[in-house]
Amino acid sequence: MADNVTTAVLEEWVRTFATQVAENRDHLTELDAAIGDADHGSNMDRGMKAAVAALDETPPATAGALFTKVGMTLVSTVGGASGPLFGTFFLRMGTSFGDSDAVTPQDFATALRAGLGGVVARGKAEPGDKTMYDALAPAVDALDAALAEQSPLGAGLKAARDAAAAGRDATTPMLARKGRASYLGERSVGHQDPGATTVALLLEAATESSF
Amino acid sequence: MTDEPQGVGLVVVSHSRALARAAVALAGEMLHGRPIRIEIAAGLDDTTFGTDAVSIKEAIERVDGPAGVVVLMDLGSAVLSAELALDLIADPSVRDRVTLSPAPIVEGLIVAAVAAAGGASRAEVAAEARGALMGKAAHLSAPDETTAVAEPGQVAADEIVGVFTVDNPHGLHARPAARLVSEVRGLDASVQLRNVTTGAGPVPAGSLSRVATLAALRGHEVEVRASGPQAQEAVEHLLTLARRRFDEPEDATMKAEPAPAAAATGPLPASPGIAIGPVRRLTTVPVDLEQTVVGEPSAEWRRIVESVAAVRREIEHVRVLTTREVGAEEASIFDAHLSLLADAEMLADVKTRIGTGVGAVAAWAGCLADVEAQWAGLPDPYLRERAEDVHAVSDQVLRALTGEPARQTVAEGILVARDLTPAEAAGLDASLVTGVVLAQGSPTSHAAILARARDIPLVVAAGRDVLAVPEGTTVILDGGSGELRIDPSPELLAEFRRRAADLAERRAQHLALAEQPAISVDGTRFAVAANVGSVADARSSLAAGADGAGLVRTEFLFLGRSTAPDIAEQEAEYLAIAEVMGGRRITLRTLDVGGDKPLAYLPMPFEANPYLGRRGIRLSLDHGDLLRDQLVAVCAIARRYPTSVMFPMVATLGELLDARQVLADAAGPDGLPAGLKVGMMVEVPAAALKIESFLPHVDFVSIGTNDLTQYALAAERGNGAVAALSDALDPGVLHLIDRVCRAAHGRVDVAVCGEAASDELAIPVLAGLGVRELSVSPYAVPRVKAAIRELDVTRCAALAAEALTLAGPDDVRKLVLAMLSETTGG
Repeated sequence: MADNVTTAVLEEWVRTFATQVAENRDHLTELDAAIGDADHGSNMDRGMKAAVAALDETPPATAGALFTKVGMTLVSTVGGASGPLFGTFFLRMGTSFGDSDAVTPQDFATALRAGLGGVVARGKAEPGDKTMYDALAPAVDALDAALAEQSPLGAGLKAARDAAAAGRDATTPMLARKGRASYLGERSVGHQDPGATTVALLLEAATESSF
Repeated sequence: MTDEPQGVGLVVVSHSRALARAAVALAGEMLHGRPIRIEIAAGLDDTTFGTDAVSIKEAIERVDGPAGVVVLMDLGSAVLSAELALDLIADPSVRDRVTLSPAPIVEGLIVAAVAAAGGASRAEVAAEARGALMGKAAHLSAPDETTAVAEPGQVAADEIVGVFTVDNPHGLHARPAARLVSEVRGLDASVQLRNVTTGAGPVPAGSLSRVATLAALRGHEVEVRASGPQAQEAVEHLLTLARRRFDEPEDATMKAEPAPAAAATGPLPASPGIAIGPVRRLTTVPVDLEQTVVGEPSAEWRRIVESVAAVRREIEHVRVLTTREVGAEEASIFDAHLSLLADAEMLADVKTRIGTGVGAVAAWAGCLADVEAQWAGLPDPYLRERAEDVHAVSDQVLRALTGEPARQTVAEGILVARDLTPAEAAGLDASLVTGVVLAQGSPTSHAAILARARDIPLVVAAGRDVLAVPEGTTVILDGGSGELRIDPSPELLAEFRRRAADLAERRAQHLALAEQPAISVDGTRFAVAANVGSVADARSSLAAGADGAGLVRTEFLFLGRSTAPDIAEQEAEYLAIAEVMGGRRITLRTLDVGGDKPLAYLPMPFEANPYLGRRGIRLSLDHGDLLRDQLVAVCAIARRYPTSVMFPMVATLGELLDARQVLADAAGPDGLPAGLKVGMMVEVPAAALKIESFLPHVDFVSIGTNDLTQYALAAERGNGAVAALSDALDPGVLHLIDRVCRAAHGRVDVAVCGEAASDELAIPVLAGLGVRELSVSPYAVPRVKAAIRELDVTRCAALAAEALTLAGPDDVRKLVLAMLSETTGG
């Protein structure tokens, strides 16, 4: 029933995300400066620029190849914890798509959940730890819920975006329990988590792409 | 391939490539050439922090072999990237041979490297590395957490028990106890000690303060009960260690006997002058224990953690210095101090107190007072004295907590202390402290240099026992000869009073003429300026008749504080000096620090050779904002008073030009202030030899003979073993000075601002080589002026020419002495 998602649209999503990261680079770094080592924005920007460059060099044919390439590039170029975390996220998405060249909205949602699973496996984050998980998990849930109600993918992604944004905002009062921010203890309270902010950008980028 | 080491491969994962390399180098020191397979996967490049799962994977594949691989990593993404790297390894048999170790990277790597080089299996290497973590965890966590760290599967069923007899003459006092504690903390075992002879205990063997309460004296039997994975080792190690008397050196016991003030090496003369007076000590901090604002317990606890960490760094620094300048044995007392600061029981007590709503200061002071009282109440006198160690540490942390500056004395007399930091030596109130006796220290330490500069008689290395001399006891010290007499006879007192009076009289004569210029018998005029480290120094130098401030050591404004002084503060301080000097030229030297004088706000990596490291202008250029701020302040002064500025440790023309560029930026659009003279210090031999290329870019040069000498002779003046080589009258050094003077003649002024400038045997040689300005400690100004007035510069030139042909500094001294005796005799 629903239209398949083309690799071109998925690539557009990645590129839009890269642009969003570049535009928000200083903001992300500022957030990280409050509770971390002030490199999240520059690290993610470096990684996503490298990912875009890699896509320019050899345009991937399939969704699987696309996300594996993005994931591997992030792993090698981000440097901070976001490297393995976002890297694993995209790698697991890539694995989930496999060699298939026909991606249905459900395939996309499944891949997104696989990505979330990778983030959990890698970072061992739990809800409320003030991490990217707190934005990503509600987004994935929202997308699944929307698709279960037969909503089109575009609407589902809007719901996911809103859930990610709400999740991001909810990190502000949280006490960080993972990563360098956790060293700050109580002082991490009152600051928005940079990783969750980036996840919100990722979903924002999805709604701005032609899904 | 057969030459390849066959053991377990190691991979070091870090955010920083430099850190990983250094960690590997550090571990390499333990291997004594035994090869191991080791690779690093660190940083995105040489300078960008980050970890890369792909490069970790490749590193694992490079060191992989039948014995497998152990990966050590730093934090955060390093762990995640290493896990991801395993996912990326295609060959499952390789993946299964890899262990990711939770060990701390440096400690873990060192023990893992040693184990791997010794042919241990992967499991053993991993266990050794994990042991390093256990040691650290036990060292730093509260006791209940310590047991929690033990592997949960391990039931403490098999308790291992052993008994040793204390053979140390003074029992398990601080140092052997510290040795015991550190041994236990290194092991994955829970160890309890009980004094079988007295019934005291059991106490946890990981707690220095508790071990001391066993009051285990020589001959007492101590029971060791251990459980946990390394229980057997723990008992065996402690029994063996006890047989070795916990590695306490024999003569440490000698020093403990009530004996004359002399230690094996001391006392040593460190700053001339005779002082007679009552023993005074540095007062305890006048800390206001009633903290007005008490924060949340978590905030108060954080203050404790931060202050303890800061003090640990301080003590570690002093320990390194003491090891280098005095000896490892003397430095070992600092291990006891460090151990105290890591005492889990004690810290847990402080934390509990804070939990009841008490402020950090009161919690710390209360807990430490209890520990001190506990120790002071022990039956053995030697152990009782160790309460002093507790007190010292407690005091240091209280100062860090409250931001109290240095310790100080409040009554006139002779200060007796273990050692002084440079900041403390600089902060001594010379109107109260008539002399200083240090139990430790060396004549070439910064404290000694500062004491000489401040005209405070000093003897060092007097031994620990001077610390036990009761306050108020009369002592005599002669900082010129190193004599130290405690509670002297009336005859001796009379003799020293006479000697002191003679010295004073000679000085009074010089002082009477100090205002007059220093002109040699044949009419050459010399400028005799003063080296100044504070406004007080400026006042002293003016009173001593200095013709200017030839070296303003600005670092005293920067040392011993947690933030850099801002422009306004610097300006105010420099202005105060300029005002005191009343129009006489002041020469401000930009910040001259390095790894040996670390600043809290300028974190410097550990350097194996700080004197050959990032110091002086090198450091300033790396922190351009700091240098610029300083030069903005300098320019502000230069617009109002005759001012010069000079850059320390210049080695290359590029550095000088870069510094001048920062100066030009600091001066702003109006350009350099008209009266500002810009110069460089000549301390690096290469700069002396290349002086021609620098001359077009400077208005003056100032030769820092202290550093020039130690660099030219490759002998660090802080190292007692080679300090004697570091002699400014070595003809090699004189050749360097000669070269500078010849090149600069008629073009730029040459000053000398090292200690040689006030050495009466060096002055004729320097004058003969062409030096016309000497900058000396304020106190020395009248004496140096008097010495110059005796000189015939023409004869000095001939003398210097001959000195350049001689083999060694002693020959030069003989030559100078011959000339001087001829002059005065004839």
